[in-house]
Amino acid sequence: MRKPCIAVLGTGSIGKRIIDDLLETFDGSVVAIGHSRRSSLKELRKSSKLILRTADVLDSSSLLKVLQGVDVVIHAVHHEFNVAVMNACLKTKTHYVDLGGLYYYTKTQLKLHAKFKQAQLIAVIGMGAAPGISNILAKYGSRDFDRVTDIEIRIGVADQSTYRHESPLSAPYSIQTLLEECSWKAAVFRNGRITFREPFSGRERYKFREPVGWQKPQFTIHSELATLPKTLRARNVFFKIAFPDSFVKKIMTLRSIGLLEEKRLPVATAILKKLPPSIPERIEQFEIIQVILRGMRRKKKSSIRVEAHVPTSGETIDKDTAAPASIVAQMMLRREWAERGVFAPEEIVPEELFFRELSHRGIWIYRYSRKIS
Amino acid sequence: MTFDFIVIGATGEQGSIASRDLLESGYRVLLCGRRRSAVKTLLKKHKRARFAEVDLRNIDSTTRVIRKAGSPIVLNCAELTWNLNAMDACLKAQAHYLDLGGLQDMTVRQFKRNRAFERKGLIALLGCGSTPGIANVMAAHAIADMDVVDHIDLGFAWKSNMKTFVLPYSLESIVYELTVPAIVLENGRFKKIRACTLEGITRFLGVGKQATYCIVHSEVFTFHRYFKHLGLRSVHYKAGFPHHSSSVIEILIELGFVSKAPVATPSGDIVPLDFTSSALRDIKRPKKYKETEDLWVSVYGTSKGKPTRIQMDCLVKSTPGWGEAGSNVDTGRTIAVMAEMLHHGTIKEVGVTAPEACVPPMPFFRELEKRGMRLYKNRRRLSQKET
Repeated sequence: MRKPCIAVLGTGSIGKRIIDDLLETFDGSVVAIGHSRRSSLKELRKSSKLILRTADVLDSSSLLKVLQGVDVVIHAVHHEFNVAVMNACLKTKTHYVDLGGLYYYTKTQLKLHAKFKQAQLIAVIGMGAAPGISNILAKYGSRDFDRVTDIEIRIGVADQSTYRHESPLSAPYSIQTLLEECSWKAAVFRNGRITFREPFSGRERYKFREPVGWQKPQFTIHSELATLPKTLRARNVFFKIAFPDSFVKKIMTLRSIGLLEEKRLPVATAILKKLPPSIPERIEQFEIIQVILRGMRRKKKSSIRVEAHVPTSGETIDKDTAAPASIVAQMMLRREWAERGVFAPEEIVPEELFFRELSHRGIWIYRYSRKIS
Repeated sequence: MTFDFIVIGATGEQGSIASRDLLESGYRVLLCGRRRSAVKTLLKKHKRARFAEVDLRNIDSTTRVIRKAGSPIVLNCAELTWNLNAMDACLKAQAHYLDLGGLQDMTVRQFKRNRAFERKGLIALLGCGSTPGIANVMAAHAIADMDVVDHIDLGFAWKSNMKTFVLPYSLESIVYELTVPAIVLENGRFKKIRACTLEGITRFLGVGKQATYCIVHSEVFTFHRYFKHLGLRSVHYKAGFPHHSSSVIEILIELGFVSKAPVATPSGDIVPLDFTSSALRDIKRPKKYKETEDLWVSVYGTSKGKPTRIQMDCLVKSTPGWGEAGSNVDTGRTIAVMAEMLHHGTIKEVGVTAPEACVPPMPFFRELEKRGMRLYKNRRRLSQKET
């Protein structure tokens, strides 16, 4: 019998982490699809399970060719290609997982639900850390309520690493996504209506549990806002993420002088991508993905705080973006659910099973201060 | 039509200010540059203005334009990188030359053209803006009262009434000044020190307290050239930017936005410095935005055998009607004043020279006062009688 096959489209830093996770946990073939063999594909770890292929995400024919025989593709290239890759999946009968669509792309992707359903395919969109773990935490928390009214998502990171050389702009994830988050207005769901706030507005001093401690999370545009208000029927939903003060100052400066305007964003991104990366001596990071839900339980007002804790030592916290995609792709192949179509994580992923898989990878779920996984 | 003046780089901010000043004084001016669209307002408003396309990379074609214009005086307001090309074109076309400065390195190279200009009976007056320019003439004026000059500190400090970032002058020059090691004169010798070394916090006329940083500037070289016979042993040039401006520039430098190395982008290779300069030029000054600049020189030495310090200041504020230029009017309008003085024969020197050596201070200060720039000596305003 043919072994199942998962492909990872994109071999950037997250793509590589997903491939590593699959090679460690998946009993099947892993196809790494990069832009060229010479560059990032060369740096991948050697394994008999790993098959290297090249494709240009801008060229649909090369995508169709490379996805032949692939059961699930995890799309780890930039979100502007999400719809193109989903359309290719419809033609090659491939299930689909991605890492997020920054609100607007997510909205467009959800419109492909009928087509995926008809093709008997599943697409789980926004299956990283946030969106991804954040959505499933919200779903888990919502089970305590008869009616959810508020969902507050906050992300905080403590970085106690030491660096031999520190980049002038240490980007915690894709610089392109980050710049888009910093320049597009942030979606905030208030009183049952979507509103748009200035990027990086709503900055507040906020205390996460130690070791993350005091941080200043702020609004940014995120995919959770495209699905959670509808799937959990909350009236107020927001997403806030905390970045270091120096990072915010630099980004806000670039923004204030017009360098992050839509027409200039591609050049600004290209310039920032040229910055030398940080060279760590010792990596010690800790991330908290926190979801607070408020609502009604047995006719009384109630609230709950659920959190994912991501402690890392010797590896970066982006494992929490890579692991969920790998876990869910494998769940698809184990046929953990019968539904077909395009789904947000909270609609389809079984929480307890997902949390258990996360705990195998050193990511822990807390309900208040009680570890539940 | 023949012209009284040719302004190269009239399409840039300073060139356009200099052109406007000369046109408003009734002169015929040939506006030169690469983008006619940048001077369309001046062309529309002034019948005595014409445009000619000039690319300083091509010396021969620049020479042809200068010859054809029939003007004996060329104001070069282009980026300092092109100063030598503009000088060579003037030499070939038998025209006098003025520019806005070349920092230390370019100025040293420009002075090597001295013999060539002398032989042809032409003047090349280097550094005719605010600083170098006004600062040099103020130094010469202060030194006239002294027997011995020991050291000179000089520079600029400015502030605005709003904490909005506005590009104070050419981004290329700012970046060069802030990243290249500063050159100071100490004990009679030129010495390189780390760029932007903090020199302390000083209270400036009209500006208030501000931190100053040592940067490279041409005055250190020209002061040594013209005042060493008076015993000059030390010169420091200090720049003072308001914090809201310097912090933006620091970030642009740190994040690679002023690099000259091309970067591959979806629309082809782009030089970050050009991209950033163009973006910053698009920033509109808010209504009611005003700037105040203090150009200052402190000369230390002896006068009639007694230790003396003479402080000269030139206070420049945003001029009504010249709003977009802020306090930057002091650069473009000053080169226009010096060009006019040359035209009238008030400046008579030949060869490559600097304002402190040939611009008579009083008539010059008088012209500045007419343009709203206020001169102070030891914090006391120079009276009309004095100027």
